[in-house]
Amino acid sequence: MQLGFLVDLHLCMGCKGCEVACKVENEVPLSTWRLRVKYVDVGTFPETKRTFTPLRCNHCENAPCQRICPVSALHYLENGIVNIDKERCIGCAGCVMACPYGAIYIDPLTHTADKCTYCAHRVASSMMPACVVACPVQANIFGDLDNPTSNISKYIQKNQGNVQVRKPEKGTNPHHFYVNGGNVTLNPLASHRGEGHNLFNNITTLPIGGHH
Amino acid sequence: MAAHEILTATNAIVTLDVALPGTVWPWLVTVNMWAKSIGTGVIFMLFLLLKKYPDQAGKLRFPTTVVSIIFIHIFLLFTLADLHQPFRMWHIFFFPHVTSAITVGAWMATAFVGLLFLLAFLSFIKKDDAAFDKTLTWVVLLAIPVTLYTAGLMSQCTARELWQMPTESAQMILAALVAGSSFMILLSGSKLDYEAKKTLGVVLGLSAMMSFILYMSEYIFGPMKAEEVAAVLEYIKGDGPYTVMFWLGQWMTYLLPMLLIVLSRASKSENILKLAAVLALAGLWLVKHVWLMIPQLLPMS
Repeated sequence: MQLGFLVDLHLCMGCKGCEVACKVENEVPLSTWRLRVKYVDVGTFPETKRTFTPLRCNHCENAPCQRICPVSALHYLENGIVNIDKERCIGCAGCVMACPYGAIYIDPLTHTADKCTYCAHRVASSMMPACVVACPVQANIFGDLDNPTSNISKYIQKNQGNVQVRKPEKGTNPHHFYVNGGNVTLNPLASHRGEGHNLFNNITTLPIGGHH
Repeated sequence: MAAHEILTATNAIVTLDVALPGTVWPWLVTVNMWAKSIGTGVIFMLFLLLKKYPDQAGKLRFPTTVVSIIFIHIFLLFTLADLHQPFRMWHIFFFPHVTSAITVGAWMATAFVGLLFLLAFLSFIKKDDAAFDKTLTWVVLLAIPVTLYTAGLMSQCTARELWQMPTESAQMILAALVAGSSFMILLSGSKLDYEAKKTLGVVLGLSAMMSFILYMSEYIFGPMKAEEVAAVLEYIKGDGPYTVMFWLGQWMTYLLPMLLIVLSRASKSENILKLAAVLALAGLWLVKHVWLMIPQLLPMS
């Protein structure tokens, strides 16, 4: 079994229900996110549209974070999930530096690395990840990539030619896919980041977590 | 952002994303790399001097060992200080993950420290020069991977395209040669004659030149190969946040020392050589710091 995630960006409406559900389920502290939804505005008024891209750990088959972790705090589960053992983590932040998706952060309360685990604790009890349950439009599809009859496998097959991963050139083989994604939504260098446009600008100076 | 200008037709602007995690590896890691360059570099230089000038260099066995011990401990102290859970450092030895350069580096650095103390014992307590020189050969061999492992670590950072393995490993060795020769010029005092110091000057000058060539090669040609490298190098171009520090570092560490070494040879001045050494040692910190910081400014999402 190799668990994977797929987000249909055509369906996602940026409600951030997944973000909130993840925060609650995993008790993610203030100023940190295991899952977040990025908004990118495209075009020039009045011809504009807003895109929404949920971003989380990609649970790569060839995970740089797992490779660089000096104490195996980041490790693979048999179902393909890249899990984290916070009791073992020494907080070297090598994984934060290695992850090409910016999916790992230092938890300001435990001073250890943390990230999305595809809700491994829920999966172990045969429950879906919290973000999947919360999504009102079923844009998040989760399942076994090894099973051709699973929802995710069928979705990938149905959308052949329109399934993307983030930064495929890194060779990480993500187990996280997007349907109807594009350069603007998936490539961080394809859009401007203007000062003052970001709702969260003011919290960048919170004196917790990492080095300031 | 000429290399990454967003097409007007697209005009894509990120209007909502979470804050960047900030600087993950701060100046503590710069000190780590800088101190390690000195700690291993002086060992390389002692080996060279003992081969080339055995009569004079004999007096440097113990002082060089002490300097190496001090700077390797600064390196270890700052490595520990950078951990968010420093009291769990022992996990590296009891739950090791050997694919990580951090693990391999920690083991090698520990062995290196042990051998340095053995050198100190042989030179200060036992006063056995023959045993010291024999052991030094093994210490030099171990000093090479100890110097290089940080390059391996940086290359394992898949997210930071700027840090490529062949270049970083060359830069680490060259940094050790720059730092080692500079420190030995200052440390040797009257123990070495001008000829021996000239040799150290040659090592400093050539290492500085090769390192400078590598930086300029990346500066000019890096953006032609990879989009992320181009974006990162924008931080040291034009009015980028690290432009001044980058060029200050290049001048202090490489260009001015090269010039001063030529001048010192022409005028046979030891003082000019010492000035070159001081500039190179101070500048190396800036050079390392800039290269550590700029990839961390790039948004990953």
